Amino acid sequence: MTDALTLLSLLLVAASATAAVVVRDPSRQALVLAVLGLALAVLFTVLQAPDVGLSQLAVGSALTPLLILLSVRKVRRRGQPEDGER
Amino acid sequence: MSRRLRMWVLATGGLGVAVLLVAAAVRLPRFGGGQHPYGERAVAASLSRHTAHVISSVNFDLRAFDTLGEESILFGAVLGTVVLLRQTRDERAVPPAPARILPALRRYARIMLPLALLCGLYVIAHGQLSPGGGFQGGVVVATAPHLLYIGADYRALEHIRPVGLYEVGDAVGEAAYAVLGIAGLLGGSAFLANLLPLGTFNTLASGGTVPLLNAAVGMEVTCAVVVLLARFLDQAVEIEQGPAREKGKRS
Amino acid sequence: MNGWLVAATVLLAVGFGPVVWGVATGPLERRVVAQNFGTSVVCLVLLLLSQGYARPSYVDLALVLAVLGPAGTLVYARLLAEDLDDDPPHAHALTVVAASAAVVVVVAMCLATGAGRATVKLVLIGALLVAGNVIASRALSGGFPKGAAASRD
Repeated sequence: MTDALTLLSLLLVAASATAAVVVRDPSRQALVLAVLGLALAVLFTVLQAPDVGLSQLAVGSALTPLLILLSVRKVRRRGQPEDGER
Repeated sequence: MSRRLRMWVLATGGLGVAVLLVAAAVRLPRFGGGQHPYGERAVAASLSRHTAHVISSVNFDLRAFDTLGEESILFGAVLGTVVLLRQTRDERAVPPAPARILPALRRYARIMLPLALLCGLYVIAHGQLSPGGGFQGGVVVATAPHLLYIGADYRALEHIRPVGLYEVGDAVGEAAYAVLGIAGLLGGSAFLANLLPLGTFNTLASGGTVPLLNAAVGMEVTCAVVVLLARFLDQAVEIEQGPAREKGKRS
Repeated sequence: MNGWLVAATVLLAVGFGPVVWGVATGPLERRVVAQNFGTSVVCLVLLLLSQGYARPSYVDLALVLAVLGPAGTLVYARLLAEDLDDDPPHAHALTVVAASAAVVVVVAMCLATGAGRATVKLVLIGALLVAGNVIASRALSGGFPKGAAASRD
């Protein structure tokens, strides 16, 4: 029965990782990536590797989205240098 | 080299790697088993050095040299980012306008900032006792001040985040790790040898040099992530294309 | 496999499966709501796993997620504010579901652990999670209004 938990987390990781590749728009991709990070954290915990899970949560939940979205904003602003709020 | 020959070289190399991987995987201990030759040795070594959390013992004692390499990769990556994302001569910095934000959000950010800071420091400090450590805690500590960018605006963040100081901190953290390693070389037997008193098992000061190396990594990661985000934020929020104007020019 | 692990498995399947679907498809408004809900689900799953494996130190993962997860959603709310402005997502029902699930899990775990420092930590995680979820939902449904923002220099 413990295998069910492992199998389920593996499936969720595979599904969200595939989605992260299939989705093409970078800002939406960042959202899928955050969910992939959550799935990975669960998988690492199920496999008794809480340190790795903690690293994944620390980096994946706020830092990676911020870096990706800031890059997206910079690239978007290049086209329209005098836009409003930032 | 023709295209055909290159494909053959690639195929040979790929096949070789595949054979090696399969050969290595065949003799691996069974997945999820209770016995593992490396695990048993690592646990024994960790206990003999009074480090309660075996992963930290592996990271900062048994294989501390590897961690120095990992730390240096982050250091080098951030250095590269600082150089690449600097403000060039044909760019100008325009101070951003204050953003309109719901009062509830401002309050949340103001309350969460110290809490996140505390949580990160807790994760660093307990590195040798429970899951956590310098890297994980360092990222949490570094994320904390950026709640001000979300809950207030970029200027509020810049007030509490002197980037120069964090750049120094980054270098000091990296250097502290190397200095501790050299101290092991001078006072003990080898580079990064664990030569300090081991302390009482399962207390904050146990593990000899493990907590110190852990703290050095924590400092380096915190400062590195803050500097990294500062460069990204500058580029995304302040720096614009075009020649410098009197008004927006940076000092 | 004990009851806690069964509960974690069920919560993961029922709660996180739809989150993966919701974040991978549909309009941006639905995706951010799914991401926010996913944070709560995974935080509770991590709490249940820690209890199921009888490893109190695993609770730290839930603590870090309760602190950083809502911050991550706020990052999306702030930097995608212009895209979300046309049709801001309102997900009161999901917020209520997440909050009540958090209360149920945290109370059950507190009863199982008994009074002590561990209980204080559990209650703190629960409070952070619920508060973060509510604030993140509010931020998504128009937390960064436009208007005066355009009047720069």
